[in-house]
Amino acid sequence: MESIKIYITLFTTSIKARMEYKASFLFYIFAILSFYAGQFGLLFILLSRFHEIKGWSMGEMVFLYSLQAFAFGFTNLIFSQLVNFDNMIVDGEFDRVLVRPLSPLGQVIFSKFEVSTAAHLIIGSTALYFGSHYANIEWTFYKVILFPVIIMGGVMIAGGIRLMVTAVAFWTLRNRSLVHTVIFSSKEFINYPVNIYNVGMQFFLTFIFPIAFINFYPAHFFLDRSGAGLLHPALEMGTPIAGIIVITVSIFSWKVGVNHYQSTGS
Amino acid sequence: MQQNNIAIKVKGLSKDFDISESGKGFSGKLKALFRRKRKIITAVDGIDFEIKHGEFVGYVGENGAGKSTTIKMLTGILVPTSGSAEVNGIIPYKERKKNAAKIGVVFGQRTQLWWDLPVRESFDLLRVIFRVSQSDFNSQMKKLDQVLDLNSLMGMPVRKLSLGQRMRCDIAASLVHNPPVLFLDEPTIGLDVLAKESIRNFLAEINREEGTTIILTTHDMNDIEHLCKRLIILEDGKIVYDGETELLKQKFVHEKVLEVEFHDDGNVIHGIPGVTVIREQGCKKWLTFDNDNYGIGEVIGTIASRYKIKDISVNEPSVESIIRNIYNNRVTLATPSEESPTK
Repeated sequence: MESIKIYITLFTTSIKARMEYKASFLFYIFAILSFYAGQFGLLFILLSRFHEIKGWSMGEMVFLYSLQAFAFGFTNLIFSQLVNFDNMIVDGEFDRVLVRPLSPLGQVIFSKFEVSTAAHLIIGSTALYFGSHYANIEWTFYKVILFPVIIMGGVMIAGGIRLMVTAVAFWTLRNRSLVHTVIFSSKEFINYPVNIYNVGMQFFLTFIFPIAFINFYPAHFFLDRSGAGLLHPALEMGTPIAGIIVITVSIFSWKVGVNHYQSTGS
Repeated sequence: MQQNNIAIKVKGLSKDFDISESGKGFSGKLKALFRRKRKIITAVDGIDFEIKHGEFVGYVGENGAGKSTTIKMLTGILVPTSGSAEVNGIIPYKERKKNAAKIGVVFGQRTQLWWDLPVRESFDLLRVIFRVSQSDFNSQMKKLDQVLDLNSLMGMPVRKLSLGQRMRCDIAASLVHNPPVLFLDEPTIGLDVLAKESIRNFLAEINREEGTTIILTTHDMNDIEHLCKRLIILEDGKIVYDGETELLKQKFVHEKVLEVEFHDDGNVIHGIPGVTVIREQGCKKWLTFDNDNYGIGEVIGTIASRYKIKDISVNEPSVESIIRNIYNNRVTLATPSEESPTK
C-alpha cells in the first residue's frame, strides 16, 4: 500500500518535470491530437468501406478493433516508458534505479505515463459503441462482467510482450528497432480477424506470439459466434490464461535481464 | 558478535565483462555484425578486504583498474561473476532493495536528482522513496543545510546548477535517509578548489560526527590526503596496496616536481645539488629534487639566482603516479604531465 503511494508520487513528479518545458508540452499535446485524428479516420473508413471479410460483418470488425484499442490503450498507459528503456541502459541511468529501495520495474514504469492514451480509450469506447450497435451485441450480465477481464488479459499479453522485448536491451543495449517492430507493427495483424490467415499463421498468433487472444478469440464469446472454425473452441476463453502466462514469463525474463545488466564505463 | 563491527566484507570478488569487439571502419563493423569476436575482460579479479564501521577508505587506481566496478557490485548494480560481498550484513546484488535502504551512493559523473525539477522536489521525492519520516527528514535537512548551504539552491532547477552546487546537492541527496555506509565515486571530479574544499570538510565531518563509513574513489591526491586514513589501491583488478595512507606517502612522496618556465629556452640546467631535469618543452622544464635533503626554498633560490624565471610551480606526485610506482616497483616519477599542481 505504501509502495503504491510512493509510485504515485514518482508519477506526479514525472508530469511536473514534463511541464517544465511548456512549449514542448503543448506541441506534445498537439501531436497526440493529430495522431488520434488519424486513428478516427481509420475507424471511419472501416465503418464505411468494408462490408464483410471472411464471414465477419463490418460491425463485428469494429468491435474487434475496439478490443484491440482498449488493450493497447491501457498497455501504452502503463508500459509507455519501456519504449525508451534502452536509453536508460545506454547512458547508465538504470544504475540510479538499482540503488533505490523500490522495485526496478516499478520505478521504470512509474517514471512516466503516456497520458495520451486517454485518447486511445476514447477511440476504443467509440468503436465499442458502434461495434455493439451494428453487430447487435446482446450485453448479458456475463458479458458485462467478463469484458474488463478480457481487456485485462489483453493488457497482460500486450504488456508482457512489450516487457519481454524491452528486456532484450540488457543484452543488446540498443533495441529500439526491435521494440518498434514488435510493439507497433504487430498490432496490424489483429486489425482483421485472424482466420483470414493460413493455419500456420493462426498457430503462430495463438501459441507463439499470442496476440490473437487480445481480440480475435474473445470476440467470439461477445459476438455469440460459433467457435467451431477455430483451432480449438476452448481458445475463445483463453485470454486470461494466456495473459497470466505471458506476463509471468516476461517478468521472469526481465529479472534475468536485470541480473545481466552490465552498466556503463566508470 | 564481532560481525557487527564489519561494515563491508569482500571475499574473492570478481567481475568479468563480455565485450564484443567491433572491427575498424565500416567494413570491419559490417563483418562484426555477422561474426562477433567475443572477449572476456576481467575488471575485478578476486579481491578481498574488510572495512569496519566508521572507517574512511580511499579506493583508488588508474582508469579501468576496477574501482567503479567494485563500487557497483557493493551497491547492487552489478552481479559479481564469482566471490561474495556483504554490506551491512546484506548481499547487495541479491537483496537490492534492502541494501539500497542502508547505503548512500554518489556518482560524480551522474546526478541522482531529477534534472528538470527544482532541487526541493528531488529531496521531497527521495524522502518518500526512502520512507523517511517528515520529522527525521526535517532535522536531517537542517543539518545538511548548515554545512552544505543548500537553502539558496532549493528553488533552482537541477539543470541550472553549477557542477559544484550540483555535487553539494547530490551528496546531500545520498544522505537523506542517513545511511550507515556511503559510497562516493569521484565526487570531486571537475570541481574548483573551493568547492572541493567544502565537500571535503563536509565528508570529514559526517565521518567524525555520525560515524558514517565512507568509501571514496578519486583521482585527487588531496582528497585522499585530507580524508582517507586507509587506502586500497587497485591495479588491473587486483589489490596492490591496502594499508594506511600515511605509510604510503612516507614511502613514495620523497620527490616533488618543480615546473619552471624560463625566459629563453637556451638554458641548460646543471650543477644544482639534488636536482635533475626530467622533461623539457620549449622554455618549460620539469625538475625533480630530493625532498628529504634539500629544502624547497633553497632549490628555488638557487635556480632563481642563476636563471631568469618567468613562472614556477611546485607539483606533487599524483595518486596515479604513486600507483604506477608501486606497480612497477620503482620510485622514480612518471611523466610530469600527470602531476597535479598544488601551490
